[in-house]
Amino acid sequence: MTATIVDWSDLLQTIGASIVAGVGITIAFSVVIWGSARFADLRREERPGPAGVALTISGLALAVVTAGVVFGVIVMTTK
Amino acid sequence: MSSDLVLVIVVATALAFDFTNGFHDTANVVATSISTGAAAPSVAIGAASLLNFVGAFISISVAATVANDVVDASVITPTIVFAGLVGATAWNLVTWYFGLPSSSSHALIGGVVGSAVAAVGFHAILAEGLIGKVLIPAILAPLLAFLVAGIAIGVSYRIIGRQRPGVVTRGYRYGQLLSGGLLALAHGTNDAQKTMGVITLALIAHGSLGAGADPPLWVIASSAAAISLGTYSGGWRIIKTTGTKIIKMDSVQGFSAQGAGAAVILASTHFGYPLSTTHVINGGVMGAGAAKRVSAVRWGVAGNIVTAWVLTLPASAAIGAVVYGITRIFGTGALGPLIVTIMSLSLLAATFARRSRRGAPVAAQ
Repeated sequence: MTATIVDWSDLLQTIGASIVAGVGITIAFSVVIWGSARFADLRREERPGPAGVALTISGLALAVVTAGVVFGVIVMTTK
Repeated sequence: MSSDLVLVIVVATALAFDFTNGFHDTANVVATSISTGAAAPSVAIGAASLLNFVGAFISISVAATVANDVVDASVITPTIVFAGLVGATAWNLVTWYFGLPSSSSHALIGGVVGSAVAAVGFHAILAEGLIGKVLIPAILAPLLAFLVAGIAIGVSYRIIGRQRPGVVTRGYRYGQLLSGGLLALAHGTNDAQKTMGVITLALIAHGSLGAGADPPLWVIASSAAAISLGTYSGGWRIIKTTGTKIIKMDSVQGFSAQGAGAAVILASTHFGYPLSTTHVINGGVMGAGAAKRVSAVRWGVAGNIVTAWVLTLPASAAIGAVVYGITRIFGTGALGPLIVTIMSLSLLAATFARRSRRGAPVAAQ
């Protein structure tokens, strides 16, 4: 009976989207923080090469966070 | 003329419910940011209020579910909707009075279901919508938020584990401006739509709209304004329960809990599930706490909240049914709703006066 009442396709998509967005955005933001902290430490140690790499990783992760949020809002507003 | 007056009373009651929804539920949205020090209370509440307003305009899927999938609109009258709204508002105020973050959304659906059953019988209920779109998501959503926040916090601690705490805390506090904003947006879009759905249901019952119609713009705008004003009015008692009594949070946990809550609510809203933002954010808060240390969560307080959740649907349904019974004593016209409205406002004024004499119920932290 439950199988016919519940639209499992919609429910599973909701679960999948929640996990991907919730975990994905948090991980990406953690990489932003990690990259920023490493950049500050490495620059203080006068290691410009690795510091640049850390900053690039941080910037890319920030782009992922921004893109994820914008994508989510666009999906919400276009249904 | 009489049915027009009932419709006006229903719309006013729905907007009053939306206002109570704002100060009751949105406190949960800002509690995490305030608890971790990411934002001052006045800033957090002001921003949440604004984002609630904006959020109300981004989707109407949940409104469609409430208007068309929970009860059979063809047998509903504006008086049934009115009784359901009074039941929901009464339960909201009772749980607010005792500082329990119960679900306004489930109170609303419970109230309407209870009054519909009292008026028409069980055949007024659309079991498929009620079970598939309300009850099962209601159980799954907080568990999902718990899981998402738990996984997110576990991975985050591994990524930032060796970094200097000052940088990490500052960084996540900035992040909470984003996650808290998203959560407020999510709350606005899901919760304001329930009021839109109920007003739309009343307009369909009144004959002003055809079956299956979308909410008109004035309904969307007024619902957005009411929840936004309610949010701005605050809800300090519940902020205190959610923000400090469940767990003590650091900013990483706050970000994870808010991110998990926003993701679950926005994804659910997209598919038209009328969720409880209260359940979801509390699920996220507990998940973020339990993943770090199970004993960090004050399970006794969490248990009280779960009890309030379990009671909400039957209690608001019972109040809705009783209110419908009272309105019918005075016939099928506008007299019943008018008398119930006057009685409710008098009771409300007496309650607030009693609280005022005993001092302010809650002190802002």
